[in-house]
Amino acid sequence: METYLYIALFAPIVGSLITALFAQMPKKICVGIFTSTLIFISFISSMILLNYVDEDQIVHVKLMDWISAGNLSIPFGFVVDQVSVIMMVTVTLVSTVVHIYSIGYMDHDESFNRFFSWLSAFVFSMMILVMSDNFVGLFIGWEGVGLCSWGLIGFWYKKHSASWAANEAFIMNRIADLGMLMGLFLIYWNIGSLQYDIVFAQIVNLDINVVTWIGIFLFIGAMGKSAQFPLHTWLADAMEGPTPVSALIHAATMVTAGVYLIVRAGEIYTLIPDVGLFIASLGAFVAVFAASMALVNRDLKRIIAYSTLSQLGYMFVAAGLGAYWIALFHLMTHAFFKSLLFLGAGNVMHAMDDELDIKKMGGLYSAMKPTAILMSIASVALAGIYPLAGFFSKDKILEVAFNNGSYFLWFALFIGAGMTAFYSFRLVMLVFFGEKVHKKLGFNPHEAKPFVIYALTPLALLAIVAGFFEQSFHEFTTQLLVNYEFTLDHSIALILIFATSAVAISGIAFAVYKYKRGGFSEKIEEWGVYKLLINQYYIPKLYKDGIMKPFTSFSKFLWLNIDNMIVDKTVDMIAGAIYGTGEKARKMQSGNLSSMLRWMVAGIIILLALAIFYRPMV
Amino acid sequence: MIGLTHYLVLSAILFAIGLVGVMKRKNLLMLFFSTEILLNAVNIGFVAIGHYYGDLSGQMFAFFIIAVAASEIAVGLGLLVLWYKKTGSTDLDSLSMMKG
Amino acid sequence: MDHILSLIIFFPLIAGIFGFLVNKESIRAYGITVAFIEFTITIALWIAFDGNEAGFQFVEHATLISSFGVSYHVGVDGISLFLVILSTFMTMVALIGLNIEKDAKNLIISILYLEMTMVGVFLSLDVILFYLFWEFSLVPMLYIIGAWGSDRRIYAAIKFFLYTFAGSVLMLVGILYMGYIYHATTGVWSFSIPDWELLILPISTQFWLFGAFFLAFAIKVPMFPFHTWLPYAHGQAPTVGSVILAAVLLKMGTYGMVRFLLPLFPDATIYFLIPIAIVAIVMVIYTAMVAYAQKDMKQVIAYSSISHMGIIILGIFAINAEGITGSIFLMISHGIVSGGLFMLVGMIYDRRHTKLMSEFGGLAISMPTFATIYGIMLMASVGLPLTVGFVGEFLSLMGFYKVNWIMTLFAGTGIILGAVYMLTLYKRSFFGEITNDKNRGLKDINGRELAAMIPLVALVVILGIYPKPILDPIDTSVKKMIVLMQKKSVLPENKEFIIKVNSIRGGE
Repeated sequence: METYLYIALFAPIVGSLITALFAQMPKKICVGIFTSTLIFISFISSMILLNYVDEDQIVHVKLMDWISAGNLSIPFGFVVDQVSVIMMVTVTLVSTVVHIYSIGYMDHDESFNRFFSWLSAFVFSMMILVMSDNFVGLFIGWEGVGLCSWGLIGFWYKKHSASWAANEAFIMNRIADLGMLMGLFLIYWNIGSLQYDIVFAQIVNLDINVVTWIGIFLFIGAMGKSAQFPLHTWLADAMEGPTPVSALIHAATMVTAGVYLIVRAGEIYTLIPDVGLFIASLGAFVAVFAASMALVNRDLKRIIAYSTLSQLGYMFVAAGLGAYWIALFHLMTHAFFKSLLFLGAGNVMHAMDDELDIKKMGGLYSAMKPTAILMSIASVALAGIYPLAGFFSKDKILEVAFNNGSYFLWFALFIGAGMTAFYSFRLVMLVFFGEKVHKKLGFNPHEAKPFVIYALTPLALLAIVAGFFEQSFHEFTTQLLVNYEFTLDHSIALILIFATSAVAISGIAFAVYKYKRGGFSEKIEEWGVYKLLINQYYIPKLYKDGIMKPFTSFSKFLWLNIDNMIVDKTVDMIAGAIYGTGEKARKMQSGNLSSMLRWMVAGIIILLALAIFYRPMV
Repeated sequence: MIGLTHYLVLSAILFAIGLVGVMKRKNLLMLFFSTEILLNAVNIGFVAIGHYYGDLSGQMFAFFIIAVAASEIAVGLGLLVLWYKKTGSTDLDSLSMMKG
Repeated sequence: MDHILSLIIFFPLIAGIFGFLVNKESIRAYGITVAFIEFTITIALWIAFDGNEAGFQFVEHATLISSFGVSYHVGVDGISLFLVILSTFMTMVALIGLNIEKDAKNLIISILYLEMTMVGVFLSLDVILFYLFWEFSLVPMLYIIGAWGSDRRIYAAIKFFLYTFAGSVLMLVGILYMGYIYHATTGVWSFSIPDWELLILPISTQFWLFGAFFLAFAIKVPMFPFHTWLPYAHGQAPTVGSVILAAVLLKMGTYGMVRFLLPLFPDATIYFLIPIAIVAIVMVIYTAMVAYAQKDMKQVIAYSSISHMGIIILGIFAINAEGITGSIFLMISHGIVSGGLFMLVGMIYDRRHTKLMSEFGGLAISMPTFATIYGIMLMASVGLPLTVGFVGEFLSLMGFYKVNWIMTLFAGTGIILGAVYMLTLYKRSFFGEITNDKNRGLKDINGRELAAMIPLVALVVILGIYPKPILDPIDTSVKKMIVLMQKKSVLPENKEFIIKVNSIRGGE
């Protein structure tokens, strides 16, 4: 089984490194096929491992020592257990689809080869992240995915906005990474190891304050990667990257790493329910906050990005309240339908010559039927309609919130569910149905290549049926994870399900009804709420004016006024003073014997005085 | 009874006179005189203290100083004569070749 | 093997003297050959080095001035071994990358001479010998900056020389005083470091001596606010000078801290720990911000060096094996990375004769390989895991966490700010469309440059993935030093402090 582990882990990097050699050459289709094959091999290995892992069979290997100093010893160790194998399968499956899809999508790009190199490198980093058996290994993957995300968001580096967004994403993540690092340090100095098994075995012996701090620090790390408020702005800007990247990194895998971390460190968070509640509250807040921004946005990809943000909020609610398996389950189902949604959006973008404004589309259904169907499936799944995947996972999260007695959280999520349904179908309606605005603007949409569509079908299939695996998923993951006990009455649970479904369906119905008739009037754009939402609550502006600009000018001030004027001038002044003294003292050397003799006498007197009055040694 | 103190006081007075001469006089010749007074002030001190301790090295030092002073004066006067021939003056203020 | 250290020290000197006989055309090849042989010898030293032995190895001893105990005394331990290898390695790489034609012979001989002094500093076990090499190292650097620099080279060279010289004069006073105390206590004269390490000093004496030594090292490092000579020196120095200055010369300061301050004056070290750490943190954040404001690419890297040196100092003053080992590793990794970055800036300067970022833009289009290598070095500088930069930074910060977590948090902002200025630099120079026509059709990296960069890139990755062969010997020697410090410290609370910062869960 270890062989499969290594294959699953290293196949992507082999592809990436070999492809990197061709990075500067013109497009070679075999590069895409080669890397896709390797990712597929990785997927197969993951499936084999999924089959193998059960109650008392997990694969745990130590490749070699990495860092050792003092009492610290960090190996390259990998573990395939119930949690990581789920992640591995999800990641490799989505990656395979995205790779194949990209062969079609990136067809005309001059940096075709470079794209696949980065993409496979990303998969490798993600595999390290999920498979590592210690926190520092996770951190390698954590930073690795950050790097690949930087390279892929800024893939079209000639575009100013793309490279800007890439830097923003990297720096925002770095801020959170500092929190994560602090968490690692705290764990190390209290436990003496960073291996998961040792840490989780000993965490109960620690002072609760320390555990709380560990929990807070790790969550700060998770906030950055999963783009939780207030570090969320990078995710929407990250849509500058190619769409397959958005599908893979900014929907299915990397952004869920934060959730994975909380799930993985569940044994820590069960000890500190207060922090958990905070996580859940923040998650619920983000769920509504992001959904509200998605309501009005006109950018196809940004809407989906906000929706991702909102769904991440749902996952954090589950994870924060201790329902780790549910968080993981939603993570998985979300990966399927959200990447499907993004990839569909990619098809739309291609058809529309990279136009992103959904108000300029409309009526694309006739031109691109398969894509429309796929995206509708994904939207239904996202909205949480029975029997699609989203229904099972999302409903469970609402149930958890209710079960926990956090009715306020439940209500927020409930509202969020309605908003989700509404904006999903607002998008579908504006893009695929209604008036054919694009005709007027002179667009000539065409459907993507057949193999691209076929590549998407596994995702569509899973978006439909994944929910039915709930029971087996539950049994499988709770072998490792802390189980979540529902104390809710069956009847109440049923009512909740109906209520949620009702709000989702009414959201959809409202969207369909409204946009069938041409949508809202232009007047709402005058409303304060609309302006607030379309400007993303003015948070990006706040960051720009409140942080970036003062930082830049303060840096300039430090350089020009402090460093050049004060610090350096002081040094020059000391040098100048010494030089000036010499210049003045030169006058003593007048050459006049008489005055020189006088100086001599003065000197003798001073020395005599010193000799008489100052005797330190006696 | 004339004791060590008297000699030392004499030596100090001579030294002071010499020092003032060194500082005040502008004529080179006078400067030499003042230097001689300084040296001899020190000589008196040496001899007096040497006598007081019954140690001959004080007197030996005095002889050394006399010898050195003599040679110094010889060289110095030679230079002085040359300088006078060259410039027609023995004024100190006219000497400023060493101005830095 | 008996005299391998003397060979390492004096081979470049002798080869440098013979260099005068070599004719102009072949001097570059000669220089590279000498540097390569020297590097091979240091590698042989590493192979012969016993990693489990914590003390000094290959010790050579010959009395120079017996009445004052001054001797030729050299030796190597885990702490100095890799700094020696770094010196010879970076000299070799810098020579490979060298492309100055003017007076190349003098330049190469200066560099070889500089190599001797650098290696000598790290290998000396006699303090007077150490001081000699320490001061000698100024002379070739003065020449390199003053003779082959840009417009304001004289100002920069003199500033560099006088500034560092002023600091080391104080150190000389400290050395003499320490020698005097040693004589007063034991009745014999000795300037040998192993002897000095055994001397237990009263606290007040420790304070004074600590001050004298610390100031010299602080200027060399350079610590805030003594850092202003460095941007000038880097700004004016030719590429080869910057590479060696950043990669090795700065490390002499931090090496001195580990070698002298910690084992000789443990109580004073602990007493001054917090103030020094505060200065180091100020230095990390302040210089990172100043780096962000720069317009000149080389100055960004110069200021970033200062910022990284702050983290090294924090690691040293963590007084635990994790921190000190980490900071020594960081010295090596920073040597490789900053040296590499300066070489890259030099290459772009050769092509465009400017270092202003506003002149660039879109370089990734015209020079893709160059941009890739630059990117790798940049990521190592930012401290990405699996590059060499991460290991040292992680360990240094981890070590200091035990001393004070809030200060570590502040120092950690250096990681964020590092990403800010480095990525901004990269974006401004490499990304975007080509706006300046002069950047169109620039030649990508050529064979000579590639030959210089590939070893660096390889090391960045290899040591990032497998730092163990370097960490282990360092760790062994550092642990021994910490035990020594613990034994030597005068105050019982300092003894407890050292035990506390070295143990897991020793009180929160």
